[in-house]
Amino acid sequence: MKKKMRVLWLSAIACNGNTHSFLNYPYIEQFLDDFEFIYHPVIDSHYTLEDIVSKKIPCDVLLIEGAISKEFKRVDVSVVDIIEKYSKIVQKIVTVGTCATFGGIFRESGYEETSGMHFDQDKPSQKFQDLIDKTISVSGCPVHPEVLVNTLYAIKKEAILKLDNFLRPKEFYAYTIHNGCTRNEYFEYKVDNHRFGELEGCMFYDHGCQAPFTHGSCNKVLWNEVNSKTRAGLSCMGCTEPTFPKQNLFSTKKNMAIPENLPVGVGKRVYLTLAGISKAFKIDRLEKKLFDD
Amino acid sequence: MIKLIEKIEGEAKLNFNFKEGKIDFVDIEFMSTRNIENILKGKNAFDALVINPRVCGICGHAHLIATVQALESCYDNLKLSNKAKIIRELTLSFELIQNHFKWFYLTMLPLFGHKQQILKATYPSQLMGKAIALFGGQYPHTSYAVVGGVVCEITEMDIIKLQLYIAQTVKFVEDNLVKTESENFLTCKDADALLDYEGDLPDILRQIKKDGFLEHGKSYDRFISFGQNSYFKKGKSLKTKVIHNISVLHVKESEMPSSFAKNVSFKDKYYEVGPLARAMVNKTPLVTDAHKKYGDSIFSRILARVCEISQLLQHSKKLIKDLDLSEESYIEPSIDISKLSSSGYSAVEAARGTLIHKVEIENGMIKNYEIITPTQWNLSGGTKEKQGVSQKAMVGLSDVKTAELVFKSFDVCSVCTTQ
Ligand code: SF4
Ligand code: SF4
Repeated sequence: MKKKMRVLWLSAIACNGNTHSFLNYPYIEQFLDDFEFIYHPVIDSHYTLEDIVSKKIPCDVLLIEGAISKEFKRVDVSVVDIIEKYSKIVQKIVTVGTCATFGGIFRESGYEETSGMHFDQDKPSQKFQDLIDKTISVSGCPVHPEVLVNTLYAIKKEAILKLDNFLRPKEFYAYTIHNGCTRNEYFEYKVDNHRFGELEGCMFYDHGCQAPFTHGSCNKVLWNEVNSKTRAGLSCMGCTEPTFPKQNLFSTKKNMAIPENLPVGVGKRVYLTLAGISKAFKIDRLEKKLFDD
Repeated sequence: MIKLIEKIEGEAKLNFNFKEGKIDFVDIEFMSTRNIENILKGKNAFDALVINPRVCGICGHAHLIATVQALESCYDNLKLSNKAKIIRELTLSFELIQNHFKWFYLTMLPLFGHKQQILKATYPSQLMGKAIALFGGQYPHTSYAVVGGVVCEITEMDIIKLQLYIAQTVKFVEDNLVKTESENFLTCKDADALLDYEGDLPDILRQIKKDGFLEHGKSYDRFISFGQNSYFKKGKSLKTKVIHNISVLHVKESEMPSSFAKNVSFKDKYYEVGPLARAMVNKTPLVTDAHKKYGDSIFSRILARVCEISQLLQHSKKLIKDLDLSEESYIEPSIDISKLSSSGYSAVEAARGTLIHKVEIENGMIKNYEIITPTQWNLSGGTKEKQGVSQKAMVGLSDVKTAELVFKSFDVCSVCTTQ
């Protein structure tokens, strides 16, 4: 029998959304042939959580879900201690989701010094410095199942992954969410009349779409293999980024009618100039209903 | 004797007190909390639509629907199209269904000594996830239901895809859970007749009978359900007597001494919530027959939950027929949220039972937010004099393993208890 890679799935302060997102991975049968969970929040494992915290079970990859605080315990042991114990024996550590990576929603849950493993929002955290070289982050709230699983396969293959400043595989996080959205033309030509409940329009101008400055593959590797938030008509909430969750998520913050946050790498002045020119297009097809009579 | 109950989306510590070889009292302790209600304070009211699904990774969609309804109840004369209402009901049903599959195949089967059936859990729940994503963009954690409707527009093609996901799920049920045409399962009125079928559900029910478990898991025999929609009725059931005229205003929350979870009672009494409660209030013939024969035991509880899969699939097909695609998905509220100071509440049926959200808004900002989750209902109590529904259900059992089965038959969820 071929050797399975042993994975420990450890939840800290979390909603378990990543756990359930993972269960949406389409080829779970094959995955479980290649990997074995020594512990997982819902999948049966050979060991109990009591075993995990009281012994040192052989393990290859440590997956951490949820924000981290010394105060937060599993079976009376601080998650920080559990992380420290296993991080010594594993080949790689993966912070799964935005909470484990940056702190996310549960950064505010009231535990002492809650943050992600290596980042407190966008600030580097001093806590697990010696483990930085071992860590890969797959942020997202929740993580996209394909992003997680394929990263695990890359670890298994010992493939060399290029990582960004937040330790995220560029393969998935070099893109912006805007890339591949079906509403792109409304963005390109500055057709700014989006209303909720319609196939047409782009949510960047008024409804807070953060996709042009959010890194990830939501519109490249679709969710549940069928759709994405922005395709459906919901603004990207920026859930893969250190700033998640920002405030006032359904409206676009503007300065003198210009969105405060522009696409990654785009200057204000150029944007203004180009927007002005693009608007001159007046493309009839985009002003009307997509399926007109 | 203390036992750690694991894999309930977290853990709980159960401290069993035995008297003459039988469980006399079980102290239940949850060990962590996550303070979502505090996180919400001072935020823009609409942001709750993004934050609240993150209360729980497995029933986050119910939290979204509860949030949007609670916010909408703060408005006077808010308009909502029938289409938006139907779409929301559909996606909520799909979440319930995926939850039921996961519970049956991942949690229940192993407790009966069978291997966990991961693929039987993930295959149909992935189909339901696709069905939600069709409207919401993704599952879990979409915020597609907004005040005034839903953000999506749907087309004939979406409906065609949706019908395929549903048909494929129905087929899964017919090939695995109860091996007969769904029509037979849905019209079956005799719980014992169901035992003549093949399938994973009849297998488990037969095992309950064979192992002499029919008396296990009985509690107060009091049920309640608040989340009314086109399928579920609101009401309470006391030994089969159903009263529909009940009000959320009589639901009270109070601190519980030993645990992070809070007590929830209705007129000072504890009630069971969940699929069995819903079926009792809805008077689903097959389930009321099981209840007549086997009371509020694990037999009835498991049957009710699995039965709801087929019922909701069938009801979804009907809802799709009622959809009028020419209606608006979204109608903009006539007043801007920043001008709104008001309060409201909602009650929604999540997989594990009634979920209540209460909100207070001041100039569009959240002043206060309270969430009462299904697990809180089933766990409430705590003291020996006033035991909770799931606590009482374990009394009299002679071993801890069976007690764990009974406890998990309520699908107690740590995440949802300690939000
Ligand atoms: S809606 Fe968002 S993702 Fe889509 S085109 Fe507009 S900005 Fe880009
Ligand atoms: S579209 Fe934006 S908010 Fe939605 S999952 Fe992707 S990154 Fe997160």
